[in-house]
Amino acid sequence: MEIYLPIAEMPVNVFLVIGLGAAVGFLSGMFGVGGGFILTPFLMFWGIPPSVAVATQSTQIVASSVSGVMTHWRKGNVDFKMAGLMLGGGLVGSLAGIQLFNALKAAGQADLFISLAYVIFLGSVGGLMFWESLQAVRHADAASPVKRRAPGSHFWVHGWPLKMRFHRSKLYISAIPPVMLGSLIGLLSVVMGIGGGFILVPAMIYLLRMPTSVVVGTSLFQIIFIGAFTTLLHAVTNHSVDAILAALLISGGVIGAQFGVRYGERLRSDWMRLCLAGLLLMICIRLGVNLVWPPENPFSVGIEAVP
Amino acid sequence: MRFSLATLLLPLAIAFTPADAEELAAGISRDKVEITSNFTGADVVVFGAIESEAGEAIADGTHRDIVIVVRSDQESVATVRKKELMGPIWVNRETRQFAGVPGFYFIASSRPLKDIAAASVLQQFELGLENLALGPAPGSNGGPPAFRQAFLDSRVGGELYGQHEGAVTFMSGSLFRTTTSLPPNVPAGNLRVLVYAFKAGRVVSSNAMTLFVDKTGIERQLSDFAQNWPVLYGFVAVIFSMLAGFSASVAFRERS
Repeated sequence: MEIYLPIAEMPVNVFLVIGLGAAVGFLSGMFGVGGGFILTPFLMFWGIPPSVAVATQSTQIVASSVSGVMTHWRKGNVDFKMAGLMLGGGLVGSLAGIQLFNALKAAGQADLFISLAYVIFLGSVGGLMFWESLQAVRHADAASPVKRRAPGSHFWVHGWPLKMRFHRSKLYISAIPPVMLGSLIGLLSVVMGIGGGFILVPAMIYLLRMPTSVVVGTSLFQIIFIGAFTTLLHAVTNHSVDAILAALLISGGVIGAQFGVRYGERLRSDWMRLCLAGLLLMICIRLGVNLVWPPENPFSVGIEAVP
Repeated sequence: MRFSLATLLLPLAIAFTPADAEELAAGISRDKVEITSNFTGADVVVFGAIESEAGEAIADGTHRDIVIVVRSDQESVATVRKKELMGPIWVNRETRQFAGVPGFYFIASSRPLKDIAAASVLQQFELGLENLALGPAPGSNGGPPAFRQAFLDSRVGGELYGQHEGAVTFMSGSLFRTTTSLPPNVPAGNLRVLVYAFKAGRVVSSNAMTLFVDKTGIERQLSDFAQNWPVLYGFVAVIFSMLAGFSASVAFRERS
């Protein structure tokens, strides 16, 4: 069944879009990532204009993040204090990101920078996480006791001043690392056009040493704000949020997220990290291949209506 | 709105038609195409007849050539980028812009265009894909041929541009018709339907009509809302998304 999209100005298959929304929502609920890095390329592949794809996927991210967060919240898996600090940093970072993005755009290399940043971040984060979680899975399978974080086994950055207690995360660390991390994510999300979940989740696990169960909920909580901000920004500057496309993606996404949260709970945390690492590496390889593989058609055409 | 060269020259061409001018009557099967939520494209028939000045139908229409153009005036800028190998990776290097490109362009003719008129005439009226005024600035023509061709290929591939030589058929000596297919992604806005009658390589008569392509109903309201109240639209989108997420989580809690 086809339905016409008023802003994208083209018809799409209703069931395909709902299915895509559900699949991405599932990943979102399970891993705490927004899923924009999967959704946007898919929408563009179907011929939806890039500006509409980027703007509209952010509404789906908001919806499935809210859907996932509510469930995590009831289980006490959201560290609001930590999220607040990171969001504060994120605001500063995104302002710096706008400057950086404009500088790159002026140099004409924004696309290249984004692609390379994706490959480097996905590759290094995914690779490290894959290695670590593989070790963890092996240890667990060998029936050795699961290594637990001993109290006080902190990174040196954790001992910086402005120490705060994070009850949910069972941490007593400096407030500076979360703010720094937040600002880095803010910068990247503006420059790369992403929610940043796939960097945020590993960083919270490995750098801040938060428990994996709390990481997913906290990441989703943050992504709500990033997604809402992106939606507003695109709606105001480009008028490119397609309400019908959004409604279809959301209706699949919110349900997918619910299943994702439930499935994620049953998954052991080392397996969850392994799966996320695998997902990141797969996307990294796909993007990497795109960069080095000779393109079928070296030309690409973009059309913009002049107001 | 920019008036293309062809539009400006059209009255001139008619004014200079010689005494043996023929009357051209033309019509379209519908003058309005409404884009609704189940829009999947539309076919529009363009038809007409050439009559002699005396008011009689010309017995043998094959001596006249008919060229029919359906095009939008919507001004868009196309950016064509070419990827080149830089070290191990493919990077967008050269970029060319074409300004004033029509969103939709369909041309049908009774015979191959090159047999109908000289290249200069075809260029003057922007007849044929190769004669479209595409250039760095609106109305200009130029740019590297490879980039121009890449742009045209992408439009033809997307069914937004089409050149169908021989697709104007004569039903009788003087009655002619052709069918234009508007693809589902046709840009909303008015289309100009231009009918030219050629004789011995010159335009002897022409006719211009307007085909309204417009969103209606919910499609119209949503795109107006997005254009006119962008801030409110953005907030509604965010709030709707949050409510949808919230209600899904509530619904699933009750079930489990």
